[in-house]
Amino acid sequence: MTLLDFARGPALQGAAFIFVVGMVWRALGLLLLHRNTPLSRNRDNHLARHGFRTVLSRFIPAPVFERRVSFQYVAGWIWHLGFFVVLLFFKIHVMFFQGLLGFGWPTLPNGVVVAVAGITLGVLLWLLGRRIVNPVLRYISTFNDYSSLVVTMLPFITGFLAFAHYGFAYETMLALHILSISLLLVWFPFSKLIHVITLLPSRYILGVKFWRRGVQA
Amino acid sequence: MIRRQQTLGERLEERGISRRSFLKFCTTTASLLALPPAFAPRIAEALESQRRPSVIWLSFQECTGCSESILRAGSPSIESLIFEAISLDYHETLQAAAGHQAEAAREQAMAENMGKYLVVVDGSVPLGNPGFSTVAGQSNVETLKRVAKGAAAVICMGTCSAFGGIPYAKPNPTGAVPVSEIITDKPIVNVPGCPPIPAVMTSVIAHYITFGSLPELDDLGRPKVFYGQNIHDRCYRRPFYERGQFAQSFDDEGAKAGWCLYKLGCKGPTTYNACAVLKWNEGTSFPIEAGHGCLGCSEPNFWDKGSFYAPLSTATELGSGTVAAGVLAGAVLGAGAGYAGRKMQEKGKAGPFEAPPVADAGQKENS
Amino acid sequence: MTEVVTKQELDEAFAMFYGMAASLKDLASPPVEVADEERVAAAKRVFLKGIDANFATQLDACVHCGACAQACQFYLGTDDPKYTPVHKLDLMKRVYDREISPLSWLKKFIVKDITADDLRAQQELVYDSCTMCGRCNLVCPAGINIADMVALNRSALAAARLMPDELRFMQEGQEADGTIFGADEDLFRFRMDALQEKLGFEIPIDKPKADVLLVTTGLDIHLFQDATGGTIETLHHMGVDYTLRSDAYEGANFGLLSGHEGTKKKMAAKLANAAIEVGAKVVIVPECGHAFPALRWGAAEALGKPVEFDVMTVSEYFGKAVMDGRLKLEKDKEPRVVALHDPCKVGRWGGVFEEPRAILKAIGWELHETESNRAYNFCCGGGAGNFLIERANPLKRAGYRVKMAEIEKTEAKTLVVSCGSCRMNFEVGKVNAGDTIPVESLAAIIAAHLPKKEGAKA
Repeated sequence: MTLLDFARGPALQGAAFIFVVGMVWRALGLLLLHRNTPLSRNRDNHLARHGFRTVLSRFIPAPVFERRVSFQYVAGWIWHLGFFVVLLFFKIHVMFFQGLLGFGWPTLPNGVVVAVAGITLGVLLWLLGRRIVNPVLRYISTFNDYSSLVVTMLPFITGFLAFAHYGFAYETMLALHILSISLLLVWFPFSKLIHVITLLPSRYILGVKFWRRGVQA
Repeated sequence: MIRRQQTLGERLEERGISRRSFLKFCTTTASLLALPPAFAPRIAEALESQRRPSVIWLSFQECTGCSESILRAGSPSIESLIFEAISLDYHETLQAAAGHQAEAAREQAMAENMGKYLVVVDGSVPLGNPGFSTVAGQSNVETLKRVAKGAAAVICMGTCSAFGGIPYAKPNPTGAVPVSEIITDKPIVNVPGCPPIPAVMTSVIAHYITFGSLPELDDLGRPKVFYGQNIHDRCYRRPFYERGQFAQSFDDEGAKAGWCLYKLGCKGPTTYNACAVLKWNEGTSFPIEAGHGCLGCSEPNFWDKGSFYAPLSTATELGSGTVAAGVLAGAVLGAGAGYAGRKMQEKGKAGPFEAPPVADAGQKENS
Repeated sequence: MTEVVTKQELDEAFAMFYGMAASLKDLASPPVEVADEERVAAAKRVFLKGIDANFATQLDACVHCGACAQACQFYLGTDDPKYTPVHKLDLMKRVYDREISPLSWLKKFIVKDITADDLRAQQELVYDSCTMCGRCNLVCPAGINIADMVALNRSALAAARLMPDELRFMQEGQEADGTIFGADEDLFRFRMDALQEKLGFEIPIDKPKADVLLVTTGLDIHLFQDATGGTIETLHHMGVDYTLRSDAYEGANFGLLSGHEGTKKKMAAKLANAAIEVGAKVVIVPECGHAFPALRWGAAEALGKPVEFDVMTVSEYFGKAVMDGRLKLEKDKEPRVVALHDPCKVGRWGGVFEEPRAILKAIGWELHETESNRAYNFCCGGGAGNFLIERANPLKRAGYRVKMAEIEKTEAKTLVVSCGSCRMNFEVGKVNAGDTIPVESLAAIIAAHLPKKEGAKA
């Protein structure tokens, strides 16, 4: 079995299995915990709607914080969007999903995807640098933060090399690319990357908390 | 068989092949082997003057496609010249002798050239029931061991002998193995392909005759000069890949425009062979040029690497079963963790709020 | 209005009260001896019952982006990364990870257990350098409720008997006699009598039934008489059926501030029961920031069932009255340029924003908003009982400077506040920084703008 066979076969299968196990495990474990419900009277009677509004409003910083945090919101936006564009709209990736799901969807030209991937990787590298240099981030950063960042960057790096046929042979790079994705999948449910399922509910929870008290959060 | 007194040059002249053609063959061979042009005369000299090495060709579980590939030619092929340079003492398909006579010829060649003859193998070797493939009552594995014992080197012609090939593919009913799993104490050159490119074999033999040694091999035992680069890197459709222009089906506009066949399952990027450069049928074409993706036939286990028509980037074993099993296992773990978490929350609620002072603890013990 | 206290009297009282507050630490009884294991166990119990599915989700949502630091005036004022708000939850996250998180089976082997020393080190983070103002909650891209989780940390430290001495003194005092700063019933009655004298009408105390139960606080009884006097005068002017209770006049709740659960519930339940007893429709809590959440959001929790009465703070009650025309105020001839401080507990945590603004509009004052206003307001720098913690003085000053910088930018001549402890903290901050901007009680301002009644004694 070659490295590519391993990557495309057991590695991806095992990683996907662990990913699904971990995500379901954590989601269910969180959902089953006791949840405190307040007894005092609400000021607001449309909590679900308003909670959802907070989910949306937190995608951009409040005006008063713009000067201080806009750049990191923007950086976050760029790389998250870039990640999804590259993941979902690169021709070869869609082939992958088509092989998996049985259907495909329109894609973007390679030139566009390469540019987006470049920008995304650039932003990720900059965020890594910032995490090391910025005193607050350096102080609060843990292994979880650095590793998650690196594990997220690896598929971009290996993907670039595979696409450009640079470094090792194509099948080795492709294998490394798939292995880096496997690593990301395995790392995902056990790291802060879990925020993919907790972040929006967390906003909703806070939204309900504040709206209940008559405060637009 | 062929008389041994004449030199190659003389015999070629007899057959109406000019010296110019012969030298051209030698130059081509030199360039194929990535040797400087200055080596062409040396190859010519070697082919002309050396005593022709004895070659024993063993055919096991094979389709004779490899032999066909080398021999099939519309006009007197330059490749067939090589047979003038060697003494093909045993080849079940080609030799005139039959029955015990044929076996006797082989035994004689072995005895006369002990330690110096070359063995060419096409076909894989079944290790299951010996009856799966026998010649003259002898199982393939016995024959191989016996013949290889006195060989200078073994050349595995085609994917079956090199890597097991199609007989080796799942479920491998005959227990087929490549030659390299049986013969471990002789130099082995793998010339995979289903079939391999004829010039590759002639070049390997020319190299052996010229230098008395085998060409440089890669980690799969293949001559580096032919198998050093993948088809994708040399493919004329590569620009379409770079631009992301892929044929979606075999008869769409993209296919007609000659776009990249990656999406249709082409294995060019992972297949190391010279097809895109040397091509087939005297440089006429090769599969991708003919409109079909590369099958990767010269790679190990090519038959078992998923569909020929699935893109390389797809998962081979991941499926809904994996996901379903994951959800199930995750649900069990999650339910357990959630239950344990609830118990801990309740434990927190059950206890007193404040930590008891040391004095209290002491009193408790006394009472 | 009737001047119940002169500027000079107020300054003198302030100086005396400040001296008293500064010596709280020495007044505190020696801390009881507790074994370290018991401290850890008690803190864990609090964490375990406090971390519900909502907190758990939020703890798992943090990506350590560091944005919260940019909202926190203690970080902004000191540039010290250890005051990054979410860092204050690290200890709690460890307990969560090890004990109840879905991955606890794995994390037990990776995450270190907490120790009593960790708890001691946590004091500075959740008491001294956090007023639970909740501004970080509003910048967080994940919407993590950091402030409430800091409150849970305070509870854990309280359970581990590790609250700062000053707060412990206050909490123990209130646990014992129900009030703060020794403002016992005698002093309460004395103050009410004095106010009655000056206001010239009877202040109803212990009426068996009333529509409104008015609550005051030890801080106002001792110091901010203008706020209490203004409230009473305005209620009287409006002809509201109200009463005070000699057994339930203390609105402060140092159980809430210190994190002591028992005291918190006891005080809230006391007021709630008194309100139910007099059949109050509304309880008006004084200009005391935390008295509002303690009762507005804590009464039902303390009783374990929903309550019928409404809880409003002074600015909310009168602001609503102004907004729907029940209370008319006189416009000043010369409008003053003022800035308004939204107390965190009343504003960001209480939803009272437009009411005080309606009052200022009604009296014709020109409000210059600070850059951060309403829900995004900066804390005064000493909320949540911090104005009493002596060792937090440098932090309080840093927080005050951040706040005051915004106020100075508005070029307002007066700062209007409707929270006693904010006011206290501003006054102390002003002394330390040499600032001179007057800080005035909204309740007193309302009373000063009551229209003169026909035939009333002027």
